[in-house]
Amino acid sequence: MKLLLIEDDIELANSLVERFREQGYVTDHVSDGKTGLTEALRGDFRAIVVDRMLPGMDGLELVRALRREKSTPVIYLTTMGGIDDRVQGLEAGGDDYLVKPFAFAELLARIRVMTRRTAQASPKLSAGSIEMDLVLRTVARGGRLIELTPQEFRLLEYMMRNADRLVTRKMLLENVWEIHFDPHTSVVESHVSRLRTKLNHGFAIDAIQTVRSVGYRLLASN
Amino acid sequence: MPFKPCEASDIDCLRPIRVIKSDVFRLAALFAFLFLALTGILVCTVLWIVEGTQRAALTSANDADISTVINGFRDEGLYEAIEVVRQRLGSSTFRRAAHPDCYIVIEDEGQQKLAGNLPPLPVKLGVFAINLPDADNVFKASEPGTHAGSTPILGRGVEVTHGIYLFVGRDTTLLSATRERILRAFLWVVLGAIAIAVVVGLFLGFRFMRRVDAIAQTCKSIIAGRLEERIPLLGREDEWDRLAGAINDMLNRISALLENLRQVSSDVAHDLRTPLTRMRNRLEEARTKSTNVAEYSAAVATAIEDMDQLLAMFAALLRISQVEAGTRLSTFSKVSLTEILENIYQIYLPVAEDNQQSLTSVIQDGIYIHGDAELLTHMFSNLVENAIRHTPARTRIEINLRMENELAAASITDDGPGIDPSEHEKVLRRFYRVSSSRSTAGHGLGLALVVAIAGLHHAKLTLADANPGLQVKTTFPSDRDRD
Repeated sequence: MKLLLIEDDIELANSLVERFREQGYVTDHVSDGKTGLTEALRGDFRAIVVDRMLPGMDGLELVRALRREKSTPVIYLTTMGGIDDRVQGLEAGGDDYLVKPFAFAELLARIRVMTRRTAQASPKLSAGSIEMDLVLRTVARGGRLIELTPQEFRLLEYMMRNADRLVTRKMLLENVWEIHFDPHTSVVESHVSRLRTKLNHGFAIDAIQTVRSVGYRLLASN
Repeated sequence: MPFKPCEASDIDCLRPIRVIKSDVFRLAALFAFLFLALTGILVCTVLWIVEGTQRAALTSANDADISTVINGFRDEGLYEAIEVVRQRLGSSTFRRAAHPDCYIVIEDEGQQKLAGNLPPLPVKLGVFAINLPDADNVFKASEPGTHAGSTPILGRGVEVTHGIYLFVGRDTTLLSATRERILRAFLWVVLGAIAIAVVVGLFLGFRFMRRVDAIAQTCKSIIAGRLEERIPLLGREDEWDRLAGAINDMLNRISALLENLRQVSSDVAHDLRTPLTRMRNRLEEARTKSTNVAEYSAAVATAIEDMDQLLAMFAALLRISQVEAGTRLSTFSKVSLTEILENIYQIYLPVAEDNQQSLTSVIQDGIYIHGDAELLTHMFSNLVENAIRHTPARTRIEINLRMENELAAASITDDGPGIDPSEHEKVLRRFYRVSSSRSTAGHGLGLALVVAIAGLHHAKLTLADANPGLQVKTTFPSDRDRD
């Protein structure tokens, strides 16, 4: 798994390269936009992490240019946290957007979700004993049907698509409820706890693993 | 355009030279000039009419005399014509007149004067003017000491019959005297007009300069740092007062914004200090007291939590300023308030249940407004979260959306402890936190963001006592009224 990091803050870049290495990623680092684009077009990367503001070529421009030739997943790192900035970044062809400062676990979780093998367009999802029918909107665990509210269904769908991967609270907020700010209440916890209760009812194994102060993981081996 | 401070010399005391350079004075001068030009045209016209009339009167009197003489000649021959001239000149009223106006001469082929009170004239036909020297003037010659002058005469020369020439003329002194009088009157009017123009120009100029100087003086004071200075109004409600009023309003707005900025910066500095101090103390304590990895990692974890809180505060401040900048207006579109509030209800229902509170919703279908869905979601989330976080267990919270007088009105009502009405306005300010909420986590920016988002949507935000509890209501302008 090879990553490309395009970041002009050398200290941050070095720390990220080191931490990616600890997680088993080889990372190429370049610190300006033009070299970044050349590298991105030349190399074979699983994902590209790009700063929004770069010397030489703006992150947006870089991604636009890259998208004309390649579909390598791109995540922006940026200090520009405005709504418009995020929308612009995604419209330019980026896949995800992370505002600085961020927790490394957040970045890692997002890269792992981005680089998952794209599932075939099947109307059914499954993770261990849990099965989801996207057409009939039904969920069953071990053959037993489970009633879910629409929001719980969306939550479980997102977790099943990323089964065995860590999904952070922020990722859930953005992808399930389209909330792009930090709520001051335990929105995610409350919903996950309901979903967990419904999923686990009558089963010995907890299908959802909690990763303390980061997020959750739906276990495929439930 | 960059702001260019006025030069000090511009604002200094009044000087006539500046008055003369002032716009009002120039205007007064221009009007004076126009007045003079018009008066000039008027005087010329009057002169032309008066002289024309007088000349016509003279000419027709001359012509009447000529026809009398010619008639005499036709009826009874040359002697009768000569007799007519003599009679005409010898009539009693005429002879007694101090300044007779009729001059006649009738002469034969050899320019020999046959009769009349003029010296013989060279034969010349038609209307023309002659100058009769006083020495030759039968009337003037008798008056001593007046020989130096001459009398202007306008008359007509005709041939009565072959070789007999007749000239009848009249004194035109009166004509030139009239012209002189009119011109003299005009001169006085001109002098008067110039004097009035100068006086009025100076007066208006000084008045103008006084008002301009008052404004300039205020500007200078403000530049020097006395931001509370305002332009004095004279209470005349004239254009100056209107201008000064508008400038003062602008200054008020600017100083309110500045004050706000100053308040926010000092609040930020203050609100930063508290968590930073706490963080520093904890880290220091960890360094001196911690003995094992677990203790260190606990200290680091709390430090990170504190820092996240600070970052959340910055994020909130940034968002408020972005919303207040109003750039999101460009992305406004028709959004379903019904859907947004339904969504909010679904999101927060489990949260409220976990807090042993009841969250209910009465949401009318199909209500649309012109706005930004993401910001509206953020706004209603903040309001519902406030209700959840600042009320005890078993509180009932209701999300309500309906049309009121054709306006979309969304309200979040709880039956919790409420907020004292005296604090309703204060809680909307940045960083303000009612004393009872100081214990709960938060940065006191939630409602400030609500205010900003409501403002962007031109929505009216009201806090009301729900007896017991609090009702926060936002009323949106109808989709039709938007600008």
